[in-house]
Amino acid sequence: MRRAKNVLFVATTAGCAVLSCGVLLAIVGAVLSRGFHAVSWGFLTEQIRLVGADGGIFYNLIGTLILITTALVVCTPFALGIGLLCGVYWRRSRWRRGLVFLLYLLNGVPSILLGLLGLMVFVKYLGWGKSWLAGGIILGAMILPSVAIALIERIDGLPAKYAEAAAGLGLSPGQIIWSVIVPQSLNGLVTGLLLGLARAAGETAPIMFTATIFAGATLPHEIKESPVLSLPYHIFVLAQDSFDPQVAGKLWGTALVLLGMVFILSLAALPVRLRTREEAQHP
Amino acid sequence: MKAAGWKRRLTPTRLLAYGFSALTLAIVGSALAMFLWQSFPVWRHEGLGYLTGKQWHYRGQQFGALPMIYGSVVVSVLALLLAAPIGIGTAVFAVEVVPGRLRIALKILVELLSGIPSVVYGLLGILFLRNWVYTAFERFDPLSGDTLLTASLLLAVMILPTTMTLSEDALRGVPNAQRIAARGLGLTRAETVFSVTLPQAAPGIVSAVLLGLGRALGETIAVFLVVGRQDNQWPSNLFSLRPLIEGGQTLTSKLGGSETNIAFGDPLHWAAIVGLGLILFALTAAATLASLWFGARRRDDA
Amino acid sequence: MKTPDPLLEARGLTVTVGGRTILRDVDLKAVRHRVVGIIGQSGAGKSTLLKCLNRLIELDPRYTLTGDVRLDGLSIYGAGVDVEALRARVGILFQQPVVFPRSIFQNVLFGVRHHGKVPRRNWPEVAERALEEVTLWNEVKDRLHDSALRLSVGQQQRLCLARTLAVGPEVILMDEPTSALDPRSVAAIEELILRLKATRTVVLVTHNLEQARRVADTLVCLCVRDGAGEIAESGSCADVLTHPRCSETIHFLESEGRSSLQTDSSLKKG
Repeated sequence: MRRAKNVLFVATTAGCAVLSCGVLLAIVGAVLSRGFHAVSWGFLTEQIRLVGADGGIFYNLIGTLILITTALVVCTPFALGIGLLCGVYWRRSRWRRGLVFLLYLLNGVPSILLGLLGLMVFVKYLGWGKSWLAGGIILGAMILPSVAIALIERIDGLPAKYAEAAAGLGLSPGQIIWSVIVPQSLNGLVTGLLLGLARAAGETAPIMFTATIFAGATLPHEIKESPVLSLPYHIFVLAQDSFDPQVAGKLWGTALVLLGMVFILSLAALPVRLRTREEAQHP
Repeated sequence: MKAAGWKRRLTPTRLLAYGFSALTLAIVGSALAMFLWQSFPVWRHEGLGYLTGKQWHYRGQQFGALPMIYGSVVVSVLALLLAAPIGIGTAVFAVEVVPGRLRIALKILVELLSGIPSVVYGLLGILFLRNWVYTAFERFDPLSGDTLLTASLLLAVMILPTTMTLSEDALRGVPNAQRIAARGLGLTRAETVFSVTLPQAAPGIVSAVLLGLGRALGETIAVFLVVGRQDNQWPSNLFSLRPLIEGGQTLTSKLGGSETNIAFGDPLHWAAIVGLGLILFALTAAATLASLWFGARRRDDA
Repeated sequence: MKTPDPLLEARGLTVTVGGRTILRDVDLKAVRHRVVGIIGQSGAGKSTLLKCLNRLIELDPRYTLTGDVRLDGLSIYGAGVDVEALRARVGILFQQPVVFPRSIFQNVLFGVRHHGKVPRRNWPEVAERALEEVTLWNEVKDRLHDSALRLSVGQQQRLCLARTLAVGPEVILMDEPTSALDPRSVAAIEELILRLKATRTVVLVTHNLEQARRVADTLVCLCVRDGAGEIAESGSCADVLTHPRCSETIHFLESEGRSSLQTDSSLKKG
């Protein structure tokens, strides 16, 4: 009887695992099989023609890259500042708990609300209309909490001996931060950024009111009224129309490219994450 | 790490840390204030009826958010009921049953799954799930495949990775010595998991599930594409399953729709839209707070 | 005098993990109602050896084992052996007391509950008997339903022993059970072991030679040779400690600062 329960247990949990993996593989497989023949060098380097039925996604790709690069630039100083505050200056302070708590709370805010906020502030109040910069800022704000948390966790995990040795050598606090703490915690920041950017690249809700359009834009010239094309919004718009088979292939190709970008960014973060995990388990 | 002399010197680094943090707090505070302020007209217009009203007709200046709250909650809770057992089961398999390298492979697979953008899920939902739901429930005569159920199923797949990864973290937090001691007493693996590991990992697992709930409530794009976007769908019988195969509207699908763009001209309409955002924020914040509370309980017990 | 058949016996035990050999060709005999002490250098594989005796080594699938272990003449690694029942017959006590975050009462009965052989109505009696045997009963009888985490470390270790005893094992394996304890608790546990000897068999890993001398009947010394733990010496406790034959044993004993062993006969136990 006990033996039977044990077998049932193993079988059930194995079934769950198989289901989880199966779903992933099915999704990736579906996108891969349908989009594969649409992706070519031409696809990536040409721009859209005929409302998506022909041409490529060059400017969509550029647009997404512009957005995530802006997000990167916007997010980093804030993440660094907050990370240093919690990890160094406030390391033993009561305030730290409150700030970290707030970060977790902000991390749970739906991205559509950030899009709404962007609409209020950038598009209407500042009168920028649809702007690539607004999109980048919104995306940067979206990923800020998770990047800050990743950095804080990394700083927390640093052995104290390095900073202590540096202090013993007479380095000032600022010097200790920049010559010891930041270099050692840099890969925490980088992985946080990579994962954040992977997420930002795929988000539609924050940018659909504030930064992106479906067709008609190439490279932005200025800040105001300078939207960009983007990969996720492209998919979003085309997905809603019942399809023209011509468009369908391109649609899947776009999805595949987006998926590829997201996977590459996520996988780049993986080695460091696994290593940090193991370090934490076996100090 | 506080040595003498740290306390009051305003170095550039200090400026960076305190400055950007203060700026962040200021921005967050202003954002919240802005939402409250901009939504004020609709609270004045409808009062509490905004939350309890079942009719939303923006042209008629009638704004009742209840059907959308219902839609959001139903879709998310159902998704959770589907995803949580499978996610937890997978986590248990990864931590308790399968050793070493296989677990890491599983982990990588699941992490990749969690990175898939919602628009891709939406696309797959449109192409496959929609038709499947339509044909599976054909005898109930649904209008189309865009239903609350479709959105739930899609959401379930989307929150599966989160519940799995976080549950796995919770399980790994249980000290291995406990498992070994239980096995040493002659307990089977299943008995050890149920008597030793799961009870101690429970707060962490609940935290994981609640976080999944928060994500489900906040998901816009995928839900937008398959939920049907039917306003004013309020079920005559709250306990019937019929509404599941009908189209509906969630807070997020309304916010992601065309009304958001056109509402700006009319202060009341705009306030109603912003108000929806406020309600959504309250719901997701509640889920996140509950998740954090359980997560902290786990750390205290350790 | 002919030595009685051993209750628990290991033959030619070799344990490897990831290409590295931990134990090589180890033999061990545990005779009924006697205490076998395992001593040796740290890293020689004493804990590993112990875990082979109740198949706990299998919890980590990276370990491979050849050789055999027999309980009452039957191989415990044979096909069709009920591992859970085996572990009820061969109990184990660890260096760090591992109490579950439950009440004292629930802890004592933890194993009993799952083995399902004792009806529920007898549980209080079983708990009392086990706690009495480890002389913990008087200290906890008024707070059986308090959390076990509130007990001192010494009490927790005795609780763990009671928990193991409640399941009714014939052999008890102990992995340095007193290393983490204060001197009073150490003495208490050693006294318990001597008393347990009357009804059970004990295999004790210890790094404390005085403890070995006080408590063990026979002794086995594990030393590292060619990168793996091997039996350097085995025999009666007195013999091994006073007339070690093997060079590794001598070296080990000396490094423990026991060069005056041979003259210290007044410490011989009964």
